[in-house]
Order: sequence, then C-alpha cells, then structure tokens
Amino acid sequence: MLSRLADNLYWFGRYLQRAENTARLINVNTILSMDLPRRVELGWEPLVDLVGAHGLFAQLYEANGEDDVVRFLSVDDRNPGSILSSLHHAREALRTTRDYMPGEVWERVNDMFFYVQDKGERSLGRARRHIFLESILDCALGIHGLLAFNMSHDVGFHFLGMGANLEQADMTTRILDARSTRAIPAEDGASFEAVEWMSVLRSLTADQTYRRHVRSRVAGTSVTRFLLQNREFPRSVACCLLRIGATLPQLPPHEAVERELQRTLLMVQNVVLEGLTGPSLKQTMDEIQKGLLSLNQALSSAFFRS
Amino acid sequence: MNWRLYRSPAFDELLEGAGEPRAAARPLVEYLTGLTAAELAARRLASELTIKAMGITFTVYTDGRNVDRAWPFDILPRVIPRAEWERTQAALKQRVMALNCFIQDVYTDQKIVKDRVFPKELLADSRNYRPQCAGVKPKGGVWAHVCGSDLVRDRDGTLYVLEDNLRVPSGVSYMIENRMVTKRVFPELFETTTILPVDDYPAQLYETLAGLSPRPGEVPLVVLLTPGVYNSAYFEHAYLARQTGVELVEGSDLFVADDDCCYMRTIYGPKRVDVVYRRIDDLFLDPEAFNPESLVGVPGLMRAWTRGNVALANAPGAGVADDKVVYAFVPDMIRYYLDQHPILPNVPSYLCYRANDRAHVLEQLQNLVVKPANESGGYGILIGPKSTRAEREKFRELIQADPRNYMAQPVITLSTAPTLTDDGLEPRHLDLRPFILSRDEPYVTTGGLTRVALVKGSLVVNSSQGGGSKDTWVVDVEDTA
Repeated sequence: MLSRLADNLYWFGRYLQRAENTARLINVNTILSMDLPRRVELGWEPLVDLVGAHGLFAQLYEANGEDDVVRFLSVDDRNPGSILSSLHHAREALRTTRDYMPGEVWERVNDMFFYVQDKGERSLGRARRHIFLESILDCALGIHGLLAFNMSHDVGFHFLGMGANLEQADMTTRILDARSTRAIPAEDGASFEAVEWMSVLRSLTADQTYRRHVRSRVAGTSVTRFLLQNREFPRSVACCLLRIGATLPQLPPHEAVERELQRTLLMVQNVVLEGLTGPSLKQTMDEIQKGLLSLNQALSSAFFRS
Repeated sequence: MNWRLYRSPAFDELLEGAGEPRAAARPLVEYLTGLTAAELAARRLASELTIKAMGITFTVYTDGRNVDRAWPFDILPRVIPRAEWERTQAALKQRVMALNCFIQDVYTDQKIVKDRVFPKELLADSRNYRPQCAGVKPKGGVWAHVCGSDLVRDRDGTLYVLEDNLRVPSGVSYMIENRMVTKRVFPELFETTTILPVDDYPAQLYETLAGLSPRPGEVPLVVLLTPGVYNSAYFEHAYLARQTGVELVEGSDLFVADDDCCYMRTIYGPKRVDVVYRRIDDLFLDPEAFNPESLVGVPGLMRAWTRGNVALANAPGAGVADDKVVYAFVPDMIRYYLDQHPILPNVPSYLCYRANDRAHVLEQLQNLVVKPANESGGYGILIGPKSTRAEREKFRELIQADPRNYMAQPVITLSTAPTLTDDGLEPRHLDLRPFILSRDEPYVTTGGLTRVALVKGSLVVNSSQGGGSKDTWVVDVEDTA
C-alpha cells in the first residue's frame, strides 16, 4: 500500500472522530448549562482551551459568550479544528482514497459536509442546536457502521482505525484535563462536582456503561479511572491504545512504534488515581498527551514518510 | 420515430438519404423507427440515471471550484461497418509505426532531414523537441506507446486523419463506459446485431505497459502517474488504474534514489518501479530536467529513464510529432520509413512557413480553418467562415509574426449522426478518436470514442466546449438478401 494512501486513511479516521467529538462536546456543555442554577455562570471558553485554540479564538472573536464559542467550534472555517473544517479535511483525504472504500462512504461524508456548511449557520441557537448536532453524530455513526460492515478489514482499514483510536484517546485526555482545572466553585456549601463529572461521562457517552461497571456514585477519582484505564469501553484511553496494539501485528513491524505504544500504555495503566486532583491530574494528562504525540510521530515516520 | 423530417447538412453516418438506412445501421434504424418519442425519452432518462449511479464524471474548473459533471452522453450509437473499420485499423497502425520511426530518427541520426524529406528548420523551431532526449533509444524504438488519432469524414464520405495525439491522449475510459451504458439502455439491440466488444482495452494496455519493463522475468511494478485529483481527466486515471490493476500514484509517491532507479513510497518501504504510465505533460514530469517549478513531477525521473532503469509511456519528447505542422508530413513519413502508400489521407494542409502557402492562407482567411501548431482542446483556432473581420486581422498578424507555428486547412463539414435533442432526433456533427497501442504487434481499439457537437450546427466536439459523446459500434453486416 502507498504511504500516501495509508496517511490519508489514517487522517480520515482522525478528522471524522474529531468532528464527532467536537459535536458531542458542544452538545454536553449545552445540556450542563441547563442543569446549573441560573446565577451560576457556566463558562464556554473552557471548550476553546480544551481543543487548544485559545490564541486563535482570542484573535478572531471579541466576546467569548456561548454564541461565539459555539460558532467558532462548529461552523467557523477559520478554525482548523471546527466541525466544518474537520469534515472538509476528512473529505479531502477521502478524495484520493475513494476507490478504497465503499462508495456510500463518500456520499455520506459529502452529505454531512454540505449539511454543516449549508444548515450550520442557522442551527446555532439553542432551539435548533440539539437536532443539528444529533444529525452530525448520527451521520458519523452511520459512516462507522458502513466501514465496519462494508469495508474490507485489510491494512487500509487498520490505518483508518488507528487514526480514529488515537484521536479518541487524545480527546478523552483533553476532556479530563479541562475538568481538572476548571471546576465551578462551590456555592452555599453545595458542590456541583457530581453534575460536572456526570457531564464528562455524557460527553463521551460513557454514563450508562460507567454505572454498570463502577456501581458507585459519580465521583472524580472513579470517573477518571474509568475513562483512563477501562479496557473495554471504546472511548477510554487504555482501550483505544489496546486496539491500536491489536492491529500492529498486521502491519510491517517497526520497533519505534511498538515502543511508543507500550510506553504510553504503561503510563496510562500505572497512574495512581487516589489523591489525583487539580494540578497533579493536569500534569498526568499532559504527560499522556505527550505520549500520544510521540506515538503519532512514530507512526508517521514508520509508515507515511518512508 | 419518423425519419421524414430528418435532413443532414453533411454525410450522415446512419442514413443514406430520406429515411433510408445504411446497411450496417439498418437494424438500429428500424428499431428506432418502432419506438415512440416517449419511449425514447424514457431510455434517455435511464441512461442519465445509469451515468449518475456509475459515477461517470469529468471535472470542470470554474469559479475557483472543481465540479464533477456528469458525462454528457447521447444514447443513439454511431455505427461503422466491420470492413471499413478493418481498413481504418490498418491505416492507423501504419501511421503510428511511421510516427514512431520518425521520433526515433529525430532524436538520433535525423536521416529524414539529411535526405531532405523533412525540412531542417521545422525541427529547429519545434516547441516539442526535447534536447534532453537526444540519443535515447527506448525499448523496441517505441516512443508513442499510446496514441489517440482524430478521424473526421467530409461531405463526400472520405475519412481523413485530422490529428495525432502523442502526448497524453485521453478519452478511452469513456469509450468503455459508453458501451456499459448502452448495454443497460438498449439491451435488445445486442440480440439482433453483432456488435464487436470494446472492453478488451485495459488488458491490452496492461500488456503494452508491462512489456516495457527493464527487468524482464520479474513481475513488473507498473504505476499510473496522475497530476492529482483536480485534473480534468482524473476520473480516467483512476478508472484505468482500477481496470488494469496498476497503482495510481502522484509525483510525491515516487522518488529517484542515488542508484538512478525510481522507487514508490509504500508502508513496507521503497519499492522499485519498472514502468510509469505518465498522464503528466513532459514539461512537468521532472523538475530537474524541465520546468523547475513543477510540483507534480518526480525529480530525477529523466535521469532514471535515460539510464534505462525505468520505462516511461509515452516517452518524453514523443510530442515532437504531435505538432500540426509536422502532421502535414506524416504521409511522406509513411512513404519514407515504410515504403508504403498511406491508406488514409491527411486533411489538405497549408503550412505558413512556406511563402506560397502563406500567401494563399492570408488571401483565403475567410474560407479556411487556421490552427496554431501546438494547441489542443480546440483552443486558439480561427474558423474562417464564422470569424469577424477583427479576428481575421488578428490572425493575419499572428501568422506573419510566427509563420512556423501556423497552418491552415479547408473547412471540413464533419459527418453527422442522429442525436436525441429536446426537439427529437436531429443531425449533429461528430468525429472519432480511436486509440492505438504500439508494441511488437500494435493494437487498435474497436471503434473508439465518438465525440459529438451537441449544439446545433456546431463543429466543435471538445467536451470542454459543449461536446458530448456516443457509443461507437463496429458491426458485422449480415447478408439479408
């Protein structure tokens, strides 16, 4: 397989996952804001920090209210990480890999891109936002379904899957990171901690699974443990890394890739969660993200830049 | 359908005269006679849906955006009797053999110049002569492995060769897809007529390419080099790669290493490439040898090719014979290299570098078609009878400033065939582009791509300028007497 093709499939996986995760983030923050008392100001800017676009956002927008952040993250083509931009990149990556995939994938991605481009601007207000974001999530899941059942599970499929898994691992650590630094201050003795951790779970569609697995109240330590170390939930960091590990034997062997993967996985599995809050949680997430970055680079130089 | 009102202003490919079909087209014409206008419209709709479902497109670049347009297709086929086609095939093989001899000669001994059959000054001023190719001898002496020649028929029924495309001719994928569509739209016709198949081409193309490998004995690695997804012919590049099973690559997928061999970047590491079927123009092929600005080429590819480590099809420099002035000498080449009489004639041509011809052209601008030597796609042409005085004055100046690069021909009233329009069946002008593969035993497609000017009265068939296409049938004429 051509390196360029593998590269494009990998990035198609990443961008599609990114579009989906961003839609989920906006959706959950919208719901969370409804759960909080009206006098509590729920910041929207943390979402911008979470995707690492603080500087760009400050440059482009004067205010930082809900409308601005939602526009910036969903339909602003000046933001390379917006849903629209992610879909644009996914579509471009797909142009040259079309022959490799079931024809419906191209049609679905096209539909999704034009839907966001044409309908996005009018769907940002709270009244329409939910349906708009849900449609994006449905579309993304539809594409994953097509890939799982209609695409040959060959080497190209593995590259696509590695991209999607690495992107998910990255997003999960970012969400944990954001919650660690931006807790809403307690008021009148009532803490919003449980509500907030619940929204973390929801943004990763992990709330049901968490309850079944953990069987304890929703609290920081156990949520973090679940999202980092659970080996079965597809959006937990360990599970994403294990899935990447499972595909490596089917690709030409590269020691550097294997090494980076094992190193990051060990780091994730060995995190001591008791007493991990605020700054120490943030530091841990930063370390894991660095590990993911090294893994991305190792994959890139092993397979895409040969 | 009723043929009483059908009147062609030219030679018609299907009808001899008022409602009287030519022998090869009789079953088709009789079948169409039995259809109502509504039935025909339903078939047209079916073809449009088929084309959409099969994703047959060509790319148009407008307003800074690339748009995939559905391939414009007329459902009524053009019919050629087998006997006539066999003669045409022989003519095309003869022509391309002579052209390959010419190109090889031009880059080595230039005997044809020394023997004063071909004028020296034309070569010196040729825009497509590549000094980088001097002395190279590609395998079997073949430079133009894939050639697309355009054939036109004049009012009296004479078939002429209008031009030979030796650089990166395109259209062959549409020839194959047109047949696929027709099979779905008119399945009944294949029961009553013996229509020779066309889908052998990809296998023949692969044979031709694989045969060029500099490492015989091993399974060759063959790639198709495309400028990329934004090229207007990308559909065809992807189609041919899929049908022949070769790898579709862009310039950045290939590199030439210190050993002067060409490699492809794969996830398993570099793989040595044996044959490159390049669909990129010479000047963009290798920034080291040609245009240093080219982003779609492969640095060092010419180095690898001149050392004989990789085969290029078509060979760089083959375009020296793809020049409308050089074209005029092809009949002489056939006599000179093959010692044969040309089977098919050229369209009579006036070459402006000759004083007498030039005087005639300047006097007769209003009655001639004037062409620059090196344009394609129907651009930069003056059609005398349809031109304005200002346009003629512009061409007068152009010709006088650069006589070498202009030639003129009488206006050919291209033949017509019935075409389904919004006003029913009407004659539309067309040409034919067969494709010739050169190797030990040359191969010619069965028929070719018929291009049709969909605009009433128009003689311009290029798809970039409102042209469409038809399926082309070579049929066995059965004795029905």
